[in-house]
Amino acid sequence: MTERKNLLTSGLRMVLNNKRYIIWFWLLNLTLAFLGTVGFRAQAHDLLDHHLYSVGLLRGWDMGVFTDLLSLPEFGSSKTYVNTSAGFAFVFFLFTAMLLPGVFQGYAATYRLPREGFFRACGRNLWRFLRLLIVSGIVMLIVTGVLFAIQGALQKKAEESTNELAGPYVQFGGLAVIFLVMSCFRIWFDLAETDIVLNDQNAVRKSIWAALKHTVKRVFRLLANYVVITIVAAVILLGGIWMWNNFIPTTSVTRAFVLSQIILFLLLIPRFWQRGVVASYWQQYMLAPPVPLRPIITPPLAPVVATPAPEPAGSAAPAAPVTENPSEPPQDQGSGI
Amino acid sequence: MPNRWKIVLAAVLLISALIAFAGRKTVHAAAQAPSARAAAPAKSAASKAAEPGALFIPDTILAINSDKPMSERVVHYEIDAHYDAKTHVIDASETLTYHNLTGQALDHFPFHLYQNAFQPKATWVREAKRDGSRDTSYDKWEANEYGSEDIQSMEVVGQGDVTQNLQYIAPDDGNKDDKTVVEVHLPKPVPAGAYVQFKIKFRDQMPETQARSGWKRDFLLGGQWFPKVGVWWHGAWNCHQYHATTEFFADFGVYDVKLTVPQYEVIGASGVEVSNVNNSDGTKTVTYHGDDIHDFAWTVSPRYKVREATYQSQMGPIKLRFLMQPAHWDQADRHEKITRDTLDRFEKFYGPYPYKTLTVVDPEPGSAAGGMEYPTFITGDSSWFAPAGFHLVELVVEHEFGHQYWYGMVATNEFEDAWMDEGINSYTEVKVLDSILGKKTSMLDLAGITLGERGLQRLQYVGVADRDPMAQKAYDYSSFGSYGGITYGKTASVLLTLEGIVGEDTMDKAMRTYFMRYRFTHPTKEDFLKTLEEVSGKDLRWYINQAVYGSQVLDYEVRSVTSFPADWYEGKKDDKKDAGKNTIFQSYVMLHRKDDFVMPVEVEIKFDNGEKVREHWDGQSRWTRFSYLKKAKVVSAEIDPDHTVQLDRNNFNNSFVVEPNPRPANKLANYWLFVSQWFGQAFSWWAV
Repeated sequence: MTERKNLLTSGLRMVLNNKRYIIWFWLLNLTLAFLGTVGFRAQAHDLLDHHLYSVGLLRGWDMGVFTDLLSLPEFGSSKTYVNTSAGFAFVFFLFTAMLLPGVFQGYAATYRLPREGFFRACGRNLWRFLRLLIVSGIVMLIVTGVLFAIQGALQKKAEESTNELAGPYVQFGGLAVIFLVMSCFRIWFDLAETDIVLNDQNAVRKSIWAALKHTVKRVFRLLANYVVITIVAAVILLGGIWMWNNFIPTTSVTRAFVLSQIILFLLLIPRFWQRGVVASYWQQYMLAPPVPLRPIITPPLAPVVATPAPEPAGSAAPAAPVTENPSEPPQDQGSGI
Repeated sequence: MPNRWKIVLAAVLLISALIAFAGRKTVHAAAQAPSARAAAPAKSAASKAAEPGALFIPDTILAINSDKPMSERVVHYEIDAHYDAKTHVIDASETLTYHNLTGQALDHFPFHLYQNAFQPKATWVREAKRDGSRDTSYDKWEANEYGSEDIQSMEVVGQGDVTQNLQYIAPDDGNKDDKTVVEVHLPKPVPAGAYVQFKIKFRDQMPETQARSGWKRDFLLGGQWFPKVGVWWHGAWNCHQYHATTEFFADFGVYDVKLTVPQYEVIGASGVEVSNVNNSDGTKTVTYHGDDIHDFAWTVSPRYKVREATYQSQMGPIKLRFLMQPAHWDQADRHEKITRDTLDRFEKFYGPYPYKTLTVVDPEPGSAAGGMEYPTFITGDSSWFAPAGFHLVELVVEHEFGHQYWYGMVATNEFEDAWMDEGINSYTEVKVLDSILGKKTSMLDLAGITLGERGLQRLQYVGVADRDPMAQKAYDYSSFGSYGGITYGKTASVLLTLEGIVGEDTMDKAMRTYFMRYRFTHPTKEDFLKTLEEVSGKDLRWYINQAVYGSQVLDYEVRSVTSFPADWYEGKKDDKKDAGKNTIFQSYVMLHRKDDFVMPVEVEIKFDNGEKVREHWDGQSRWTRFSYLKKAKVVSAEIDPDHTVQLDRNNFNNSFVVEPNPRPANKLANYWLFVSQWFGQAFSWWAV
């Protein structure tokens, strides 16, 4: 019997063994967000660079100056800037969806997955992931909608109570429940993604079904892992902002930029860690056990007959199933991504 | 003869009975007073009552720290009200004694019936539906929003029942469905100087809180809940309909109010509590008395937690009473501290607070009862989550307390001159909160994010700067937003700017003079403006006509700044290094008045050798240009370098710096970048 590994540590190990993915995703995230904020940046320079009043934004953060800026007709519509940034955030999501198969392939590999292997996995699974995304999107939207509707109704009811805190309790309690339920759904579809890639499963529905069975079977264990990792993410975000607020002088733009990027870089790790956890889980629980190889016994050579009759079709001994082992290094080990 | 004796005897008995009855009715408040000082005027009142059948307004001083009445008392309300906490119905009888000080006989009296505003066809709801309101959007009409105030009977003492003479009128908009003003014609006119007494029975159906009146869950704020007579002002009755943007106007007088409510209720009200008696039916009757006030409000909730304290004011002790929500009990300290600090500043800056009580109500969460002023009674606005650096609690308590001065004592007409109570109060709010919480942090001081009160006031105004003048009837503003932005924000900004024109000390003196001169009266806008001119010794009409009576917008800009070598034609370059230290530069600074508000301004020009030059521009022409011939180039030019002109709509274009400073924009862009990146990550976290 195979020894079971701790999912958190094994998942984290996968992430740390493939740090380059985090770096690339961070660069992608930064680049896209930068492109999304180019217009905003240019407009801000136009409006602020030559005026003494704008110093109120540098020394501390004067909400009066900021609101004044937003209300300037020259500043334009805030909606435009929000939409542009949201558009580039969506592009980041698409890139993530496109590149994720390569990440799973890399996590499962015991060697440094070459660039070709990474992108081969991405290309091979693109259409499958698209189908999975549609399914997961529909399911998660419906579930989220229902949960928020229930939470809204409960909150409305709670707000009728004479206990003022009933409303906030229901609100925060409801959000916690929604988070937990949605985490379960996330685990389900993360497992499905992993199965699609590592099992080279073209029938997406089979991966969804297999992932569902495993999610239900070990939901508490997987959920506990996900929750722990989410708490780590929350600590990174809140701790980072606390440090930003307390240790970075308000006038130091460069230091603030560096710290903000460290926070965002570190924030990428938890989600990849969760993917490492499901990859590790897949290897331990969902990988089909290898079929023991039987020695091929070659029958002794019969004496040569002058005109042998042809063998009937399909009577040959079936070949042993071959499981592609992702841990086996390919011949070509080019530079990895 | 025997018959004649019988008549004389009957007359004597009748007079004796009247004396005894009138004396008992009018001195009961004073009779229960703990202090001997309060009893003396009550005797004086009783002596007036010695005249047979005489009506009068009591000159009690039970509720004020003064040895004589402070206002010219026109009305005396005696109300006996029973509140049904289940149906939110108030059944009451009201005796109103009115002193005709108008100098002429009055044959008709208008009354406000404010609770009738909360009906679908009423003017209040129509306007709120059209323009929006602070509390309700009226997407659809809800039955619990309905309110009513029905006069069941009205009798005029000596003239009989006049219920049939009641007639709803709509003096402002002619809306026949509006029942917020009712008029009664008397069979006999009330002569000048005489008294008249109305005996009214009425029933209120209180709505779920709207316009800071009504119920929410088991809480009630009884504001504008009884038939209230209009004000005879400038030769006519002033009794406007209730509008979505208007408040109130009433005469000073004495209030004796009995409130019968369930025994489990915690109660608070205007004035001083003079008795509290439990009844056998599970109710209790609490009696309040108020002197020199022009309205009476009360509240009940079974869940209030009460904190009481005493503040020693310039005129005597004030009993502070805080009715807190249980979930906000930890904020009682904040409420008390800001109340004390505000009292201290108001007494120092403007004049004494003469009342013996102040009740601060922390109203039911989610109700439309927060942030309201009634005489000696205010409501704050808090929440279970109220970070210390977000000074909303302080702002609301300070603002509503400020109304004790600008509305409570200086009782301007809130229907017609809303800026005189809300706006002047917003100005003093800036002054008081700045002195308590700091000029740049008086509104917000949280995690490095700051906002000063004056900034907040200005922000309210800049969005609606060209919409309406300040001197506008409160119900005639172009929108609810304009009403708020102009009456609160613009007025505060106008007075802060005026402070820059006349000097802060002069302005302080003028405000104090205005308060002391017009407290317990109904001053007009000109009373206020002339006081400013008188104290400052300046003709301010040029400013007042634009800022108060006009809707001109003020926006000055530094249009351009240019420097180049005077002998440029000899090939010298603009760069100083290349041009040489002794190069003389020709510099120009051009200022532009972008809008139609004309005002003299200062401009400060800085040169790269450290020299500063201040120039004055009267602003009469559309633009002006200053030129300099110096061995230095202009570094920057700034209009209003002392930052006294709060009215300028665009503060960015008030200065121009030649060398760009990209750091503020970089910081802002970095924040936005962070948010964008984080959003991208968060979206991807859940979506894939």
